[in-house]
Amino acid sequence: MNIIETEDLSFVYGQGTPFEKKANDRLNIQIKEGEFVGIIGHTGSGKSTLVQMLNGLIKPTSGVVRLCGKDIWEAPKEIRSIRFKVGLVFQYPEYQLFEETVEKDIAYGPGNMGLDEEEIRRRVLSAASFAGLRQELLNKSPFDLSGGEKRRAAIAGVIAMDPDVLILDEPTAGLDPAGRDVLLAQISQYHKKRKNTVLLVSHSMEDIARTADRILVMNKGRAAMLDDRKNVFSRGDELEKMGLRVPQITRIMSQLKKMGYNVPSGVLTVEQAANELHSLLGKGIFDE
Amino acid sequence: MEDFINIENVSFSYSADDENIAAPEYVLKDISMKIKKGEFVALLGHNGCGKSTLARLLNAMSLPNKGKIYINGVDTSQTSSVFDIRKTVGLVLQNPDNQLVASIVEEDVAFGPENLGIEPSEIRKRVDDALKAVDMYDYRAHAPFKLSGGQKQRVAIAGIIAMQPQCLVLDEPTAMLDPKGRDEVMSTVKKLNRENGITIVLITHYMDEAVQADRVIVMDDGKVLISGRPREVFSQVELLKRHRLDVPQATELMYRLKGRGFSCDEMPLNSDECIRQLEKMLKRNN
Repeated sequence: MNIIETEDLSFVYGQGTPFEKKANDRLNIQIKEGEFVGIIGHTGSGKSTLVQMLNGLIKPTSGVVRLCGKDIWEAPKEIRSIRFKVGLVFQYPEYQLFEETVEKDIAYGPGNMGLDEEEIRRRVLSAASFAGLRQELLNKSPFDLSGGEKRRAAIAGVIAMDPDVLILDEPTAGLDPAGRDVLLAQISQYHKKRKNTVLLVSHSMEDIARTADRILVMNKGRAAMLDDRKNVFSRGDELEKMGLRVPQITRIMSQLKKMGYNVPSGVLTVEQAANELHSLLGKGIFDE
Repeated sequence: MEDFINIENVSFSYSADDENIAAPEYVLKDISMKIKKGEFVALLGHNGCGKSTLARLLNAMSLPNKGKIYINGVDTSQTSSVFDIRKTVGLVLQNPDNQLVASIVEEDVAFGPENLGIEPSEIRKRVDDALKAVDMYDYRAHAPFKLSGGQKQRVAIAGIIAMQPQCLVLDEPTAMLDPKGRDEVMSTVKKLNRENGITIVLITHYMDEAVQADRVIVMDDGKVLISGRPREVFSQVELLKRHRLDVPQATELMYRLKGRGFSCDEMPLNSDECIRQLEKMLKRNN
């Protein structure tokens, strides 16, 4: 079943002014329930506008967003409930922490949903654990946390609303390599356990290659591709023209293929490349 | 080459002057390093290791609590020389949107030199030269907010270049950019280093950027962990991973193949080197 569906979805900034700009231009995309979709595209390609329309934060200039088959703007007064179902973690979300303690900050979203104390407490604990936040941090002020911990606290705040669709906009920007790896692993694990839909916006092709099942490629406000990650990253030349790249490992392997070596296209991880090359190179000294 | 930046036993704490705090936590701990004139250094380290603090100290935005920093022989803690130091060392930050002030590209680039009290005809020349150096001259009459991330960051760099610094300190200048923008900023930085002889200190979490430097310095817990040519540093895969860092995928691939008993002549740092090595290995084995 499609959990999200858009029909000719468009958004125009500054309509009727000399600065008019089409940020999204007639998008028709379908996302199935339980999918992990990566969203890539050059700056200004319309990624952030799209995700803000998906959670009802901005209203389409024209076209429709459907959540579970229902137009989210059918009853504009109920748009708040959409934001509980489609949780959006913004870029640099740590700047939006504001409460006295981490626990209160995470509880803010579920509190707005009118849940009882016990249920809120349960959700805070479960969200903190999904986001990899140690329990002793819950009583601290969010401002005493490290950068990586703040980021995880902000993500926990959205997870605590238990959304059916979780959207993360550049969650790893500015994190060191280990912090990035841990956060991506936690998001993947959350997706696996909770079995909900996750959309991940990123400028890091390596991050997307490692996590997403399918990839939406945005280019100049249009959806240029929406396909399995292997297929998308097999189209390196087209991605290059859109200001994107393929992961370094994918480039190395596709170059070897072009040179006539028997390796598959769309290799996405170093592990996979090492396995392919191992069999191609024959026996290493440890295999004898 | 002479030492352009000389950091001597520097310690720094954000709360050293706070009398209520008995034992202030030091971000930099007795750190020393030298950077030569015209050198391109990449500074790596996990979040919270003290990289950005060091960047602020190089520009005299903060002063060491202990030890000294000399820029071109001038002590940064001499109040009379603060202005000169900021003119000599330009600081470029992560988010280009926070660094642009004017509504027209060339006015933005002129902001720095105007504040230095430079003559209008000279400002004109500097602005044009700076925009050409970052390859944004054709956009001089555009509005910054309509540019892409990479273009904005290059305008921010031009604004610094127009003050004719001898050194650029860039604190994660590509963290918010798309792949093309990242390439644009990196080629601009390399060009300024090669052609204009500007000393570069690049702070980054992208290992594929760090391999392009002359030297890589890895910081950990307020100190220097290792320093060396990129190939020396990135050959120490386990050490880097233990300190929350990484190596380029090209290097990681060869490291794993070595672990499976295959040997290569040298550790590759980028895809071209990796392909050359693999080709040699494949020919040898078949």
